[in-house]
Amino acid sequence: MTQVYLPRTLAELWSYLEGKPEALVYAGGTDLLVKMRTGKVTAAPALICLERLAEIRDVRETADAIRIGAAATHAELLRHPLILTHLPVLTQALHTLGSPLIRNMGTIGGNICTASPAGDTLPPLYILRAEVELCNGETIRIMTIEEFITGPGATQLQKGELLTGVLLKKPVEYNFHHFEKVGQRKSMACAVASMAALLRLSPAGVIEAARLSWGSVGPTVVTAAVVEDALIGEKLSLETLAAAAGKIKQIVAPIDDVRATAEYRRSVSGNLLLRLLDARPPS
Amino acid sequence: MPLCYVFLRMHSTESDESHPPDTEETSRVNPYIPEIGKPVPRADAGAKATGAEKYAADHYGEDLLWAGVRRAGVAHGRIRRVDTEAAAQLPGVIAVLTGRDVPGTNRQGIVHKDQPVLAVDKVRHCGDGVALVVAEDRATLQKALSLIQVEIDPLPGVFTADDALRPDAPLVHEDHPQGNVLLKATIQAGDGQAALAGCDILLEDTFHVPVQSHAFIETENGVAWQEEDGKVVLVVSTQAPFRDKWEISHALGLPLDRLHIIGPYLGGAFGGKDGATVQCLLVLAALHASGRRVKMWWDREESFIAGYKRHAVRMDYRLGARADGTLQALHCRLYYDTGAYAHLGGEVMALGMEHAGGPYRIPHTLIEGWCVYTNNPIAGAMRGFGVAQVSFAFEGMMDLLAGKLGMDPLELRRKNALRRGDRNAAGVTMTQSTGIGDCLAAVQDHPLWQERKAWKRGAGPFRKRGVGVAAVFNAMGYGRGLPDSALAKVELTTEGHIRVYSGVSDMGQGNATAFVQIAGQILCQEHTAIELVQPDTERTLPSGSASAGRTTYTYGNALIKACEELHRRLIGRTALMLLSDTLDDLELLPGRVKNLASGREIPLTVLAAMMAPEDRVCISQFLMPVVRDKLDTGKEFVIGFPHLLFSYAAHLVCIEVDKLTGAIDVKAYLAATEAGRVLNPQSFEQQVQGAIAQGIGYALCEEVLMEKGRIVNPDFATYIIPGALDIPEMVSLAVESCEPSGPYGMKGVGEVGMNGPLPAIAGALADACGIHITGSPLTAERVLAALQKQQETP
Ligand SMILES: Cc1cc2nc3c(=O)[nH]c(=O)nc-3n(C[C@H](O)[C@H](O)[C@H](O)COP(=O)(O)OP(=O)(O)OC[C@H]3O[C@@H](n4cnc5c(N)ncnc54)[C@H](O)[C@@H]3O)c2cc1C
Repeated sequence: MTQVYLPRTLAELWSYLEGKPEALVYAGGTDLLVKMRTGKVTAAPALICLERLAEIRDVRETADAIRIGAAATHAELLRHPLILTHLPVLTQALHTLGSPLIRNMGTIGGNICTASPAGDTLPPLYILRAEVELCNGETIRIMTIEEFITGPGATQLQKGELLTGVLLKKPVEYNFHHFEKVGQRKSMACAVASMAALLRLSPAGVIEAARLSWGSVGPTVVTAAVVEDALIGEKLSLETLAAAAGKIKQIVAPIDDVRATAEYRRSVSGNLLLRLLDARPPS
Repeated sequence: MPLCYVFLRMHSTESDESHPPDTEETSRVNPYIPEIGKPVPRADAGAKATGAEKYAADHYGEDLLWAGVRRAGVAHGRIRRVDTEAAAQLPGVIAVLTGRDVPGTNRQGIVHKDQPVLAVDKVRHCGDGVALVVAEDRATLQKALSLIQVEIDPLPGVFTADDALRPDAPLVHEDHPQGNVLLKATIQAGDGQAALAGCDILLEDTFHVPVQSHAFIETENGVAWQEEDGKVVLVVSTQAPFRDKWEISHALGLPLDRLHIIGPYLGGAFGGKDGATVQCLLVLAALHASGRRVKMWWDREESFIAGYKRHAVRMDYRLGARADGTLQALHCRLYYDTGAYAHLGGEVMALGMEHAGGPYRIPHTLIEGWCVYTNNPIAGAMRGFGVAQVSFAFEGMMDLLAGKLGMDPLELRRKNALRRGDRNAAGVTMTQSTGIGDCLAAVQDHPLWQERKAWKRGAGPFRKRGVGVAAVFNAMGYGRGLPDSALAKVELTTEGHIRVYSGVSDMGQGNATAFVQIAGQILCQEHTAIELVQPDTERTLPSGSASAGRTTYTYGNALIKACEELHRRLIGRTALMLLSDTLDDLELLPGRVKNLASGREIPLTVLAAMMAPEDRVCISQFLMPVVRDKLDTGKEFVIGFPHLLFSYAAHLVCIEVDKLTGAIDVKAYLAATEAGRVLNPQSFEQQVQGAIAQGIGYALCEEVLMEKGRIVNPDFATYIIPGALDIPEMVSLAVESCEPSGPYGMKGVGEVGMNGPLPAIAGALADACGIHITGSPLTAERVLAALQKQQETP
């Protein structure tokens, strides 16, 4: 039998961890429990559940930034007015994540720490230039998500350290948010390829600013300054997007797996850019 | 009191587990007489919704032991050694058994007995069992299974039908006289393929369909124990409890009267529980468990690896027609990959061959089939039994022909649709209800067809819309060579209730509800007074398997006779009690028999008390009629060819294709189905919708992927079945006809709907984008590749 601790405060958690340094933390368990069943994660002597830690479950704002508690569930974020108002690209991604049941259990912190190339919150978090807040009870470290995630399933998280929050600047300079995931069905689908985009479009339809990222087409989320540069200053048109699509197909580094071939992922990475043709700044 | 009710049900003992009248429902639903033709609620709805209904998987018991199987993990090889020493030493392990410990023939199989319960000298697919462990708990079981040392010398394997047919191919069964060919058969009608030469138009193409998994919720499982008198009781998730008894008896050498099989409602089956899964293993385990209960329950991965599958098939087609679209001649070659053991492979292929020409008049045909052993997982029965595969090919050919002729695809189908009196492509005269023409007409009249052109113009940027149709059919019943029989039993209980003893499983298709309706219709009792007993070899009578769209048809016909007999008896015995000198004034009414002339009545409880127990029980047998044509073809089929009765359907689908991703979005679906008369509109629609949903999965995403016989996607994270969002609104039109041989004019409706979605969607894809894909499923990746190829070719 595995012991499960349910601390209500971080202080309680740190003291538990001190006594059981081998314990594994989990939030929704939608990744961890699955991996324990298949043996990908060896059973730990104890589990510490984060779901009752109000301290790291809320969403707060300052004048120009938003802080999301790591243990906030996807469903909570999808309902949250601050997220809905400021981070449409994230809500679009959350809508495609798993199913209502998975969104009720799974958390943003879990999605980040799992660091899957197919993690659906990651492409938005990359272009939102999210920072992660890591704490071990004594010191706090802050780094960009790009620095934090070092490879498929690999992060800079250290033993005894907890991801406590995600920090985001309000992306006020962008007036168009877009996320699209290609999966093998419409829900409960692991991304075969995905793309997140933030654009600032002038009333005349010129792309003034652009940030783009792709999921599931490389060991970590793919960003590409050359593609962004190819868009910025250009009129939003099929030609512009097709040219950028040609570039990203060269950059992504997908693999063949049971869900799709690398070739398909490469094609789709480019094709998803064409969807931006419909982009309109909010009127 | 729902909780009390659940509690009571949980403590009811195995042996008197019939369906008590649903007290909980009584308080909420006014009593009604379940009658034919009404959308009577499912008999199992209340108990299933409250969780009170016990599936086999819900059976545990005190002092329970767990049994599990060590699988080969090697697709083809010779067993050198199975060392069970370490496992047997583990504390908590009760028994470790190998093939050498199997008494009897150690052979299971429905028609061909070629599958060992536990492999002895050779393994033929990764899922072959090499050892059986019985342990105190699940953790010990897992540990013990991992301690068994299995040494297998790998042999070269064969993993496609083509490979298996090569002259130098390794043999899956060395002792099989025809090498890797389980069955080679031919159906010929008219002048056969010679007639192709004289056709104005000749088209040919090759189609491929992959392995599909049944993906039922309740995986294979059961509980077994040995009673003091030596008898073994098995509660099991099965489609064929009586045949199980024969199979176990043969494989384990146990006399039939030492086996007692109980088959509760199933949490899905679709053909995958038609044949031995856990049965022989569990009974063997029980023989070593000193009377304790033993449970075996495959997890999802084991269910994929060891369970049955739908056959992958390659289909080479040549179709000849006149310039006006009249079909003239067909030649096809079908290669069914049946995997490591026969199971129902030959019968599945037989049905596929019988349907290879579609529901059309084709005077000259040559249909050749090879059912081939490979080292892949075992293929067997699945909804649309061999027919779902060929439907893709014959409807694909019809679309090609329509395209070639520039003809409306629906018109082309109507022109060639079978009518009563025609001979079908297997040369059988259609003597019974034959409603495909009416189904096609219903689709043609529907707004989805009439307004399709405008709808297609509404596609957004980077999207294309298309509409496809398919005409399909599915035989019902076992066909010639195997008596399709049921024995119905109905009783007036001492409580004055009517109890129907069903010998044929309800895996969710709703036959149990139809039985309640038949009893209600004839015996005029309220639903609260009609009880159902699910299959149990000591209480109910052999009625065949839950398969072939036959359960309501065959058992229902038997039940009508049994209920009519009981009705006669109740009236006749009342006459004695009321001293009536004529039966004419007596009427069976809810809870009583009344003399309408005198107003006097006898409650059924009183009548039951007066009647002798054997007088209160009526038993009747029904045997399905068979084809009378003397056919000089298909001689290779020992059983299962040809069939007398078919259900028909015309399907229409509206799809939108995303040109950027290749994804097909199914926007609307229409099915017009002829399955005789509709006994229960709700049950009918559920069968149609369920089949369409499963068919959409087959069309778009379901595919068991294998590398040298090893399944690489044995779970629901990677074996993709559609979810609620992938299935559109489905409109079901019942195109009724009367099938005189059916109970109240019905035919089976469970399978035919499975056959339409793949060809209809493939047709819609061609309509939308001009691409003709002949390998399914139609995944986004395949569609995008075809679109890219289309762009490259000028
Ligand atoms: C059926 C199903 C469908 C799914 N579909 C999708 C999908 O469409 N898209 C998608 O992106 N994901 C999907 N997932 C994966 C999963 O649901 C998400 O990654 C989810 O966000 C994980 O969150 P969790 O809280 O459940 O993580 P957990 O399982 O609780 O934890 C995951 C890992 O992160 C660590 N961890 C969690 N929180 C913290 C923390 N605060 N600090 C330090 N370490 C932490 C845990 O130790 C563990 O190693 C699916 C999973 C399932 C089972």
